[in-house]
Amino acid sequence: MTWSGKLGAGLGLAGLIVLFGLLGPLLTGDPATIRDIGLTSPGGDHLLGTTIIGQDVLAQLTHATRGSLWIGVLVGVMATVLSGIFGIVGAYAGGVVDEAFSLFSNVMLVIPGLPLVIVIAGFVPADQRGTWTISLVLAITGWAAAARVLRAQTLSLRNRDYVAAARVSGEKTWRVICVEILPNLLPILASQFVFAVVLAILSEAGLSFLGLGAADSSTLGTMLYYAQNGFALQRDAWWWFVPPGLIIALFGGALSLINFSIDEIINPALRERPRRRRDVVATTPAVADEDAVLTVTNLNVVYQGAAPVHAVKDVSLTLRRGEILGLAGESGCGKTTLAYAINRLHRPPAEVTSGSVVFDGVDVLALGPEELRAFRWVRLSMVFQGAMNSLNPVTPIRAQLQDVLRTHRPSMSTSDREARCVEVLRLVGVDPARLGSYPHELSGGMRQRVMIAMALLLEPQVMIMDEPTTALDVLVQREILNEIKRLRDELRFAVVFITHDLPLLLELSDRIAVMRDGEVVEYAPAEEIYLRPQHPYTRQLLGSFPSLTGERGALIR
Amino acid sequence: MGYHLRKVAFYLAALWAAVTLNFVIPRLLPGNPVDILMAKLQQRGGSVDPAARQAYETLLGTGGRESFAQEYLAYLGSLLRGDLGVSVSAFPAKVSDVIGASLPWTVVLVGLATLISFALGIGLGALVGWKRGTWLDSLVPATTMLAAVPYFWLALILVALLSSGLGWFPLNGGYDVVLDPGWSPEFLGSALYHGILPALTIVVSSVGGWLLGMRNMMVSAMSEDYVLTARAKGLTGSRVMIRYAARNAVLPSVAGFAISLGFVVSGSIVTEQVFSYPGIGSKLLQAVQNNDYALMQGIFLVITVAVLGANLVVDLLYGLIDARTRDRSTVS
Repeated sequence: MTWSGKLGAGLGLAGLIVLFGLLGPLLTGDPATIRDIGLTSPGGDHLLGTTIIGQDVLAQLTHATRGSLWIGVLVGVMATVLSGIFGIVGAYAGGVVDEAFSLFSNVMLVIPGLPLVIVIAGFVPADQRGTWTISLVLAITGWAAAARVLRAQTLSLRNRDYVAAARVSGEKTWRVICVEILPNLLPILASQFVFAVVLAILSEAGLSFLGLGAADSSTLGTMLYYAQNGFALQRDAWWWFVPPGLIIALFGGALSLINFSIDEIINPALRERPRRRRDVVATTPAVADEDAVLTVTNLNVVYQGAAPVHAVKDVSLTLRRGEILGLAGESGCGKTTLAYAINRLHRPPAEVTSGSVVFDGVDVLALGPEELRAFRWVRLSMVFQGAMNSLNPVTPIRAQLQDVLRTHRPSMSTSDREARCVEVLRLVGVDPARLGSYPHELSGGMRQRVMIAMALLLEPQVMIMDEPTTALDVLVQREILNEIKRLRDELRFAVVFITHDLPLLLELSDRIAVMRDGEVVEYAPAEEIYLRPQHPYTRQLLGSFPSLTGERGALIR
Repeated sequence: MGYHLRKVAFYLAALWAAVTLNFVIPRLLPGNPVDILMAKLQQRGGSVDPAARQAYETLLGTGGRESFAQEYLAYLGSLLRGDLGVSVSAFPAKVSDVIGASLPWTVVLVGLATLISFALGIGLGALVGWKRGTWLDSLVPATTMLAAVPYFWLALILVALLSSGLGWFPLNGGYDVVLDPGWSPEFLGSALYHGILPALTIVVSSVGGWLLGMRNMMVSAMSEDYVLTARAKGLTGSRVMIRYAARNAVLPSVAGFAISLGFVVSGSIVTEQVFSYPGIGSKLLQAVQNNDYALMQGIFLVITVAVLGANLVVDLLYGLIDARTRDRSTVS
């Protein structure tokens, strides 16, 4: 079901139950009328049978549904208002007010709700326990979780530019909150309101079932209380006991469906996706260059969807042993998709629609899942764009390096593993004492070096580096590039280096492929590209970088 | 201030709030609990001497004879001594003894059921998120529907089907009353047998919340770069799922444990009542029905302390599983 389908089903079911509660009492008779036909089973005059003293269950059910909904709405409104005051206003005001409100919400959150309600209900004499009293108590004990969510959201909204602009321009506080902030919180408020209503109906049912509900109301809970005390289940009078609980469950289920779809509206990542397709739809017979380690021939990658995007078009590349191949192009030109497809890391809806990838005699696109897993990192490793997020934030560096050895070299001893990790860190110039550190304790440059060290662990034949230095400052970038060159000379692996920085590639690589809109428009030795660029786009790229002397377009010959 | 210190300070503040709430409620609400208690005590043949009255007044209020501050100090003093008064419904037992006898039942039942539910929900949620787009997706709406079912209604239906109908489980109680409570194998076996159905009720009703939360976080975690890296590293599927995706996705569930524990405790009170389980929830309701205000207050306090304690333990564990919190200075 799509989110709109869920929303429709949820709204439909909830709407039916609300109608049942609103209109039902008008159509059925008096729920309190006592007849001498106790515990008649459903059928005839009494569609849902009768209670032990002959009351019509259907009539009772309509009135009880109305009572429960009324309490649910009362509590929902009060709890949402309370959470708004403590969540939104506190977060907006900031400072001491926020600290105090937040502490108060958190304290209310950890004090268990129902025991508190029971104690309060226990102290209030039964004749003074009205619908409003019970609703108020339920609201007071049920707003805190929502306040916490609203506070977090308001804090992030508060720092957005348009809110700051409104504040600076001198708008009144209440106006900023109502006009700038509240509309953005509506989905969350709606979801919290729905949640509060369900919780209130459930809690009220529990209280009434225990005989602690409002004295002046008839709800699904009181109905269950009488059914239980009339031994409905022991007398097999399921028609008396089952329907009230079922209505609560169905209403709760309908509201959860509504909440699901609100969640999916807020967070598109949660929306249902089509079943996972094959990542490789079709290939063409593999063609391999004899002395090449990696040969890509006429590779095509398409993002399937309503409007398919042809991200990689007929790309052919060869990478020789020990070579650095530069892959240049602006963002969105398909460089990263190409790199992922070579290692079959592309995710649905991306598909390889034709072409071949041959790695040292191995047809990569034809590998089975287990063969592919054993191939990755051993033969071909990758350094991803933005090492900030490529490392697992919750485990130390050591575990993430050792993972690789544990999986691909299961026979290695513990001390050998440790020694190897120390060795690769030294290679990239990171103090091995850092093995015990967590990613957040390292600087950006160090994290990038750790990623490179990780890629070196198994001495692969090829490393694909996707913008490994873009996020770093120029000095660190320079150091890392020199490191890569030195390691390449020492260890003789080949590198595919991806970047939008063509001048950098001119200096670093042996050959360069220039990509535009998924196509390789020019593919030649670096010197050729520098001295005699053929394609207008290449010339444009070269021209877009200022030279050191400051003359624009100085790189064009 | 360090993470641990901050957490301990927060829970001390929460404890103080709960204790104060317990002090304020009987004094602010209508009714005259002390008189009702004294009348009950008399019916039970208890002594109606001024000392007994004074003990109740310390807990429930003097009706304005002493100042609020004086009453508050006296109340805190008696709490520190562990003196929660005398129960009238279980006269002449002291409130602390009544609680002491019933608390272990609840701690074991609710504790085990919560752990099982948490482990099951987290495990299934991780799997449902990981295998997205398969038939497992239907588990999400199914378990959420179960979470919307009232605990007691589900419990009674289970009793009707599995106990009365099929005779698989006992109807109610915490153990076979023929046996003497103790550490004998027969008694422990009987307690376990009687605990299955109440525990099942709690697990079935609460597993959906964990599952949904974990599944949603799992879906978000799977699009993170570190999961892509882990796949590129050629790690086995189960290792990527557990060590990388689930390990990160579980953090919000652990952080949100407080909210969920509140629901479980609330639900289990009603469940205990349905099964006439000899735990603290049944005792609380018994106290309410008999206007045993001292016992009510004592039980509320103990439940709150237990929940706060459990949350403190979870929060301290959270510091262990997420190194980043220890270095952050903001209060979450």
